[in-house]
Amino acid sequence: MIPLFPVLANLAPAVDAAPVMESAMMRLVLQLAVILIAAQLVGLFFKRLLRLPGVLGELIAGMIIGPYALGQLPIPGFGPLFPAAATSLGVSVPLYGLATIASILLLFLSGLETDLALFLRYSVVGTAVGIGGVVFSFVLGAQCGVWFGFANSFMDPVALFLGAISTATSVGITARILSERKKTDSPEGVTILAGAVFDDVLGVVMLAIVVGLSKLTDPGGRAPWGHIGRIAGHAIGYWLGFTAIGLLSARLISRVLKTLHSMSSIVSIAFGLALLFAGLLEMAGLAMIIGAYVTGLSLSRTDLAHGIQEHLRGTYEVFVPVFFCVMGMMVDFSALHGVLIFGLVYAVLAMLAKLLGCGLPAWLMTFNLRGAARIGVGMMPRGEVALVIAGLGLSAHVINTQVFGAAILMTMVTTLIAPPLLSKSFGGGSGLKLRARAGTDETIHSVPLELPSADLAEFVLSRLVRSFRAEEFFVYRLGGDTQAYQIRKDDMSFTLSLEANRVVLTTPARHEHVARFIVLEEILELQDMAHAFEKLQDLDTMKSSLLKGLFEDDD
Amino acid sequence: MNLRKVMTPATITVALKSDTKEGIIEELVDLLMAAGKIKDLKDRKEALKVVLDREKKMSTGMQNGIAIPHGKTDTVGTLVAAIGLKKEGVDFQALDGQPSRIFIMTLSPDTRTGPHIQFLAEISRQLSDTGIRDRVLNAATPEEVLDILSG
Repeated sequence: MIPLFPVLANLAPAVDAAPVMESAMMRLVLQLAVILIAAQLVGLFFKRLLRLPGVLGELIAGMIIGPYALGQLPIPGFGPLFPAAATSLGVSVPLYGLATIASILLLFLSGLETDLALFLRYSVVGTAVGIGGVVFSFVLGAQCGVWFGFANSFMDPVALFLGAISTATSVGITARILSERKKTDSPEGVTILAGAVFDDVLGVVMLAIVVGLSKLTDPGGRAPWGHIGRIAGHAIGYWLGFTAIGLLSARLISRVLKTLHSMSSIVSIAFGLALLFAGLLEMAGLAMIIGAYVTGLSLSRTDLAHGIQEHLRGTYEVFVPVFFCVMGMMVDFSALHGVLIFGLVYAVLAMLAKLLGCGLPAWLMTFNLRGAARIGVGMMPRGEVALVIAGLGLSAHVINTQVFGAAILMTMVTTLIAPPLLSKSFGGGSGLKLRARAGTDETIHSVPLELPSADLAEFVLSRLVRSFRAEEFFVYRLGGDTQAYQIRKDDMSFTLSLEANRVVLTTPARHEHVARFIVLEEILELQDMAHAFEKLQDLDTMKSSLLKGLFEDDD
Repeated sequence: MNLRKVMTPATITVALKSDTKEGIIEELVDLLMAAGKIKDLKDRKEALKVVLDREKKMSTGMQNGIAIPHGKTDTVGTLVAAIGLKKEGVDFQALDGQPSRIFIMTLSPDTRTGPHIQFLAEISRQLSDTGIRDRVLNAATPEEVLDILSG
């Protein structure tokens, strides 16, 4: 459990002694300054120069400046910036509190980004891939802990945490490679993304169960089997209950919030709700991050989702690196000595688990071996969620610094190895089985509009954006160098993009009518405009009067 | 989308009389006028004009006997809609060349935003289901049509 309230409790006594409070705050501010700067610089180095995820850089920045490395060196007149013995976690309580809030923000946004509709649409193969990956990872992860003697049995809390840590795929880096190789909408790409959504949801349920069980079992590791069913039922029940409440009330909440007519108020209140749900779920015996994720997931179905994401992006970019950096700071190198081999084996098993667990169902259903391998490799990287769960285990004293270190090592290894493998795997032909190639059950349709020139295409695109806005859709321009828009209303979601002289609209089959009708009406209007322009009787006069006199002498 | 927000039984007829495209559109406009959705004769003329203008650009006769004549005019303040059935069918120059039997007409304000096209799209999508289409065509009263489509 990540304690939030202890943070406040710990600060309270300091009120009596103002100078203590002041010096504690001064230390916190200075620590935060160093963390922010170091995380950004090392993170950028990883992103720009090494073309690796920034998370890795932020973790490593934490290791370098943390209490087990440079941070313990005394600064003259101040003492060490990050004294090692602050707490059993290695970092001070206020700092850990900030990291906790950052982790809530992280999970809230990852819930918001979850495309439930996409998940449901590709549910068949995606679900099989997701479940396969989660089951294999959990079993191999937990078993690895038993083999190396960190846990007495499979049901030992340590084993359960090792299992849970290795379940959650971090799809961010895979998504980047897919988009770089223009494979996001390939059957493999779509399956990976759908599988990752399932993986996330199931990972969170798994975590809920693990947290519940670890509270019950004694450190010796004998979970009374009779209780396991009850605990699992309890955890899943709460999870389902809160998710159902969230999904059902999301529309109402979004309608009420919209009456505020202020995006910044909406965003603040939405984040407030995430914290509220986090607290409530913690009180219910689950973890705070589950509450944050459920809140995000619920709001992801509303048309506010994209706006909230955009507004929180800045806050996210400032604060979430703090979380990763703090996780890095908690790695105790002296504890790593004996566990290097364990960490590496854990990492290899984690990769094998996804390769087999995700690849096998994919191969059995629609993909050939090549396609199945791409999917397995795409699901390999672990990241943010694994770190959150590991941090949670450490702070709850379920896992020790050795196991925590191994978890960090596993995250780093999988994130380093998967990208080049995935990139390479996309060489060669189709990844679908022959019979599946003819009739893929893809239900996302794309409607291309071929135009005579790029300029005209851009103009048509801007008119279409206007038409969708006139129909009261929320239209957001996606970042990046390409012109692409996401268009949303309620559970409808289209994308509109410009590819040289083509305007491409992609739409789920279910809402295809709406998209096509709106585009058709706009095309008819453009046709009208073109006729009217040609019929302009004074067009010639207009042209010549524009130039008239320009080339005459002033006098 | 809630159909009952936009329509009442008063703007639905299960027996259109006319045999021509223009006649059908005129009947539907008159239905809206009788229900008080169109104020006066001047607005009626404007409404007819915008719908017929839109038909000139491209017929709104879709497939399977459905037609969705519509137009934009600021003589209405919000989306208004009328539904008419002509069981024998009328030539509406439909996409598939078949006679049209179910007519959904909308008028929407030109300068206000709203889910106007979306309304047409969603109702046509509903009607692309053969079962619903047949039930609508067999409906005996306006209330029945409204029940089927909002069910």
